[in-house]
Amino acid sequence: MNELKAMFEAGPQLPWYLALSAILFTIGVAGVVIKRNVISMFMCIELMLNAVNLTFVAFSSYFRDVNGQLFVFIVMTVAAAEAAVGLGIIIAIFRNRESLDVDEANILKL
Amino acid sequence: MFTTLFFFLFAGMAIGCAVSVIYQRNPLYSAISLVGVFLSLACLYVTLAAPFIAAVQVIVYAGAIMVLVVFVIMLLNVEEEEHRITKVKYLLPTAILLGILLLAQIGYIITQVKSDKNIKLAESPVGVTESIGTGLFTKYLLPFEITSLLLLMAIVGAMSLARRSATLTPTTRIIPGTQVLPKYLVDPKAKYDTTAVESETTEEVEKVLGIKGKPEE
Repeated sequence: MNELKAMFEAGPQLPWYLALSAILFTIGVAGVVIKRNVISMFMCIELMLNAVNLTFVAFSSYFRDVNGQLFVFIVMTVAAAEAAVGLGIIIAIFRNRESLDVDEANILKL
Repeated sequence: MFTTLFFFLFAGMAIGCAVSVIYQRNPLYSAISLVGVFLSLACLYVTLAAPFIAAVQVIVYAGAIMVLVVFVIMLLNVEEEEHRITKVKYLLPTAILLGILLLAQIGYIITQVKSDKNIKLAESPVGVTESIGTGLFTKYLLPFEITSLLLLMAIVGAMSLARRSATLTPTTRIIPGTQVLPKYLVDPKAKYDTTAVESETTEEVEKVLGIKGKPEE
């Protein structure tokens, strides 16, 4: 009990942030597998990217190293670029197939 | 003590909103839950003494990417997913079992892995904007410039993907009297002539579609 109290007094520790990041990443993977809508799958991919960002920032804070946060900056930029191109692809898919269901997009021909 | 409380509060919010993202069937509700995830992650970055990353997270993710996603959802008028019958019956018990296994592993990590000292996260000059700016413009200048090139590529790619083509695609609908066609589709002799012609009669539409009679409504 005393050990628990000491753990709470010291503030959140690094493994807690890593565990939270693992949980968020797993929820993202589950969403990509479960969802049928292309836009929902894309949002779950963004959730996975954010879980990895949390890992980077947690390590950067607990080891007093700024390189982790710099990498998070680059990852966010790449995610923004990927969002633009990915949504353009989704619009092109919708324009040709009239449907956003990935289960129905199972042949390469229209 | 308060930092631990804040950690559990924001972590609970993040996990709750993430489960809501995959649980909701309407993609607009998923998008709003995802904004909730981003905001709680930004609060977690503040508890990690990374204020610059927290601000950039809100600006870029919640403020730009999710706005774009909501635009696309509204533009394409996406409907709710229908409930589909799971053909494989043993999926749910297996998922629950593996979920319990995952939680057990996470509990083991949290309680057993101990550093030699409990690190108190004091104010450090690591996360402030100045140190990130210094690193970005001295040591990581090349990735910075390459990232700007990447953004240019993304802009060009998105524009060329979403542009409408000038010719007929298989799903173009021709409504007689309103469609504007390029000339070579209406007059077979005028090849490669792309001057716009307003198609007014159903004869021209028949010629374009290659069918006889009125197109079905």
